[in-house]
Amino acid sequence: MSDDFEKNLREHLHSEAEETREFPRRLRGRIRDGIAPRTRARMAPQLALAGALVLVAVAVLAFRNPTMVNVVTTGIKSLLAPTPAPTPQPFTCTDQSGGSAAVSAQLTGIRSARHDGYDRIVFEFSGSAVPSYDLTRQESATFYRDASGQPVALDGNAGVKLTFRDTDVASGVPTDTKPALPSVREIAQIGNFERVLSYGVGLSSSQCMRVFSLSGPRLVVDVATTASPSTTAAPTPLPTLSPSGTDLGAFSCLDTSGGADSGLAMQLSAVRVAHQTGFDRIVFEFAPQAGGTAHIPAYTVSRQASAQFVKDPSGMPVTMRGSAGLRIVFHGASGATSYTGSRDLTPNLPVVQEVEQLGDFEAVLSWGAGMSRASCLRTLELANPTRLVIDVQTP
Amino acid sequence: MLMDPTLGRVIERWRAGDREAFEEVIDRYGLQLLRTARLILRDPSLAEDAIQETFLKAWQRIGSLRDEDPGPWLTRIAMNESISLYRRRHRFQALTERFGRLGGVKHEVSSEARLDLTHALDRLTAEQRAAVALHYYQDLSVEETARVLKVPVDTTKSRLKTALRRLRELTGAEEAFA
Repeated sequence: MSDDFEKNLREHLHSEAEETREFPRRLRGRIRDGIAPRTRARMAPQLALAGALVLVAVAVLAFRNPTMVNVVTTGIKSLLAPTPAPTPQPFTCTDQSGGSAAVSAQLTGIRSARHDGYDRIVFEFSGSAVPSYDLTRQESATFYRDASGQPVALDGNAGVKLTFRDTDVASGVPTDTKPALPSVREIAQIGNFERVLSYGVGLSSSQCMRVFSLSGPRLVVDVATTASPSTTAAPTPLPTLSPSGTDLGAFSCLDTSGGADSGLAMQLSAVRVAHQTGFDRIVFEFAPQAGGTAHIPAYTVSRQASAQFVKDPSGMPVTMRGSAGLRIVFHGASGATSYTGSRDLTPNLPVVQEVEQLGDFEAVLSWGAGMSRASCLRTLELANPTRLVIDVQTP
Repeated sequence: MLMDPTLGRVIERWRAGDREAFEEVIDRYGLQLLRTARLILRDPSLAEDAIQETFLKAWQRIGSLRDEDPGPWLTRIAMNESISLYRRRHRFQALTERFGRLGGVKHEVSSEARLDLTHALDRLTAEQRAAVALHYYQDLSVEETARVLKVPVDTTKSRLKTALRRLRELTGAEEAFA
């Protein structure tokens, strides 16, 4: 009897635990923020103490000898003169998250300005800290309004979306500005719904970024204005944009998405991996169900800095070959009854080392690719037969 | 516990201050630690806070990790953070429970008020839930559970026994098997 109860308890705990499907990106961002070097922040208590002591000394001097006050205040002014802004993070070409999930905030201002080598956007808040945020890069300057889904085309050829949680906006903060800087072309509010506030930033071209928080609280987004920000390169720089040399389109170092989640789910019929000159190619081939129309299912291709993945829906970790990865998720697709090939391919190509199915659950089909290095991508949507082609740039 | 060579290299890079190596450690252990913390704290936001603090402490204290698999070491930090965070957030509840015990008050559960396991787990103390989560979710032995929680084996046995008895009472399983 006791064993039955304990068995039920064990099963219940596993089922309760599996409600947490993945390690949240915002939590990873908070940890990343926490381990970033912050020399100025570490000095804050000492500076505060020194400031308090100086104020006490001034008060005593003013009381005893009023003529001394000018001398002392001049000294204080020189101490408080602005110093160059810190550069706590390198420029990186990846999506970023951070802020504090425990904070409820109000956006009180947005500023942007050109600096040497980068354009700076500052989001200023009232509250105790920068709220939880996600920064997501995209290949176009077209965004979709939250919650209407209406498209908004901003100035520029690339974009970045900033989403702040548990945040609203003060009156007077502009909803659309066109600063016309070298990289930052337009900043527009694209959502303010149920305390989720989002902005789209139209960029002249895809650029790497540096994101950090300052007191105020302020979130600073620096967008590089040159192809490779010289003195602050990322520890493991991602490749920059470069043309492919063919007519298939340029490789991009951004996550990408496309397709359409419409009609009957598409059926996965084949997965192929091969090397071509300059790239490794992964092909997902689909066929429509009886009565359905052929289309590329809605997909996202996300880059990641490791070859470790989590299976959907079990949550079990999977480590593939390589040191970087791609996660490919299709909505409105399944291979459960249609795909008979291997679900774990190990082609050992120059970059693509392994391609494995991660999940096939309720018409959400996901695969991962382990790669020997972070690489730029090109996706092609082809017909007859319906295929999504992912080209991974090789050295 | 012996490490596989790949993990050993990751830990060496972490010791040298490589943030990417540290992120690989988060990839490897983060989800299970977060799930365990959530079982103990019963609150997703608090569990995230506990795991954030766990990894920040781990980053700072890598020097105290010996040549071993970091899993049990991280679990130990996560359990400490979860239990102390729960205590900080539930001081008043802890006081009332304590006075309740001193006064000999026993919360009887009528058959009409039987709880499901989720709500019954809410009624355990954080220490009991930690023992239950490690033993029944992470499948650690009683001895391993005791080592992670840094309490004697007998204390762990007692916590598990009390927790099981309480869960049976609250869910009505006791009566069903009587």
